[in-house]
Amino acid sequence: MAEPAPIASSLAPAAPRARARRLNPRLWLSAGWILLLVLAALSAPWLAPHDPLAQDLLLERLPPIGFDGYEAGYWLGTDSLGRDVLSRLIYGARIALVVAVAAAFAACLFGSVLGLLAGFYGGWTDRGVSRGVDVWMAFPPVLFAVLLVAVMGPGLISVIVAIAIIDWTRFARVIRAETLVQSRMDYVQSARVGGASRRRILASEILPNVLPTIVALLALEMGVAIIVEAILSFVNLSISSDDPTWGGMIAEGRASLHFAWWVLVFPLLVLFLSVLSFTQLGEGLKDQFDPLSR
Amino acid sequence: MMPDSNPVAAPGASPTLAIDGLGVAVRRGPRLLRDVTLNVNPGEVRALVGESGAGKSMIGKAVLGVLPRSIEVTSGRIELLGHDLGQLAPARRRQVVAAAASLIPQDPMTALNPSRRIGGQITDRLVLRLGWSADAARRRALELLERVHIRDPLRVMASYPHELSGGMRQRVLIAAAFAPRPQLIVADEPTTALDVTVQKQILRLIRELQAEAKTAVLFVTHDMGVVAKISQTVTVLFAGKVMESAPTEQLFSDPRHPYTRALIAATPRYTHPHEPLRPVPPELIAQLWREVESTNGEGGEHG
Repeated sequence: MAEPAPIASSLAPAAPRARARRLNPRLWLSAGWILLLVLAALSAPWLAPHDPLAQDLLLERLPPIGFDGYEAGYWLGTDSLGRDVLSRLIYGARIALVVAVAAAFAACLFGSVLGLLAGFYGGWTDRGVSRGVDVWMAFPPVLFAVLLVAVMGPGLISVIVAIAIIDWTRFARVIRAETLVQSRMDYVQSARVGGASRRRILASEILPNVLPTIVALLALEMGVAIIVEAILSFVNLSISSDDPTWGGMIAEGRASLHFAWWVLVFPLLVLFLSVLSFTQLGEGLKDQFDPLSR
Repeated sequence: MMPDSNPVAAPGASPTLAIDGLGVAVRRGPRLLRDVTLNVNPGEVRALVGESGAGKSMIGKAVLGVLPRSIEVTSGRIELLGHDLGQLAPARRRQVVAAAASLIPQDPMTALNPSRRIGGQITDRLVLRLGWSADAARRRALELLERVHIRDPLRVMASYPHELSGGMRQRVLIAAAFAPRPQLIVADEPTTALDVTVQKQILRLIRELQAEAKTAVLFVTHDMGVVAKISQTVTVLFAGKVMESAPTEQLFSDPRHPYTRALIAATPRYTHPHEPLRPVPPELIAQLWREVESTNGEGGEHG
């Protein structure tokens, strides 16, 4: 359809749109931190002051800047093998982000499609999907992930697949419920009276209204994926133990907490901020795109 | 059931909608409609009146083929422009209904898709199902938006529903319903969600457009005041059963059925503002239930 030029009008209640253009602080703060992570991950080889794997036992457990015994260039100190904490954090962002994006998208795609179909078609489709979700959620998720990775063998792909396999239910459940609500709306009924096919109703009447929720869940899921990846590396089941991961750093830092707190605290802080940012981004995006609050 | 003498039906003309002995029930559950028979002729507005739960909306939904999944037609025939809808394959049925019938839904707030522009929501059906050119559909939409007194139709076509007021949305919905030139319109309590001043305009609009195009209208409402304003004929429903069908004037001047009399008496009157409300007497309701159930030969199923 060609867009007519907007015409100024006395009956124009155009204010709500202007309001939508204003970003709220939690959205840009969280988006800012995530952008920083992405940039750090992309430019890790240039940004990191040291090789994240280089060990130097003469430089072990150096404190961060501003503390007694600080060695120039090792901004956030070193761990028990003398590896630079900042460099390892930066390289760890790569793995965290790859896992977050890939696992969240996989879980989202699988779960949302099943949720849409279950909510829209109902009947046997719905019963099948809903029982599947029920059974799936009866497993404790982290144990399930540990089990899956143990079976598939550690590695990046295993971690991504495991997270997608345990977390598709989040999407299926929520999207099914939203689709169910949408399917009962009067405009869906009108479209049916107008002879629209089921596929068309799903694609043009329901999906656009469910999409904000999908996007919000996707962002939340990225946060969850980062946590699960950290847990897996914490129990040494993620990537090979040499590769710097935030979870692995936390696991190592735990042992030396009393005399080298920075080895534990910095990765923990980065993990916390990242997960918080993704969840806040999800919530913020939902508000931003919700057609009803626009 | 009392006989129905129809003032609008031209002798020999076939009705737009003919419902004969329609029964609708929840699957393995209570009956919602029992042996409903009614006709709507071209140019006729038939009000379908009854208390909530009487099954008025179910009739419209059954005609349009949008009954909830758990509810099914158990008996009877629905003929739309001579097509026996029950005999048609689902795809063919959709086609017949899409070409011949429209719906004006109850709640203007949920009847428009919040994430799509108004224009597409009016023209979709014309272009996708009825084979109009995009340009013709657009012109038709503009024409109708003007017809329902929307001042800036170009702008409204490009707007999202949340940018319009409730009254404007209902007018958009009326335009959308009339746009494909349907022979039948099912109006499902289209004024219930609106305030009284807007109600009047909306009723007048529906009346004008319907008279112009000789559209048959099945107008579902619980409001006897609205019945008097818009319809030529009335069918009174109780517990899914037709109590009385009559021309509107006759129904108000000479109601035959005790339930109709009670409904009319229960309507508050502007002229008597201090009169106490007179609800339908519970004894009458109890008696009617007994009658409805005994005529069906099975009792105790109205959950």
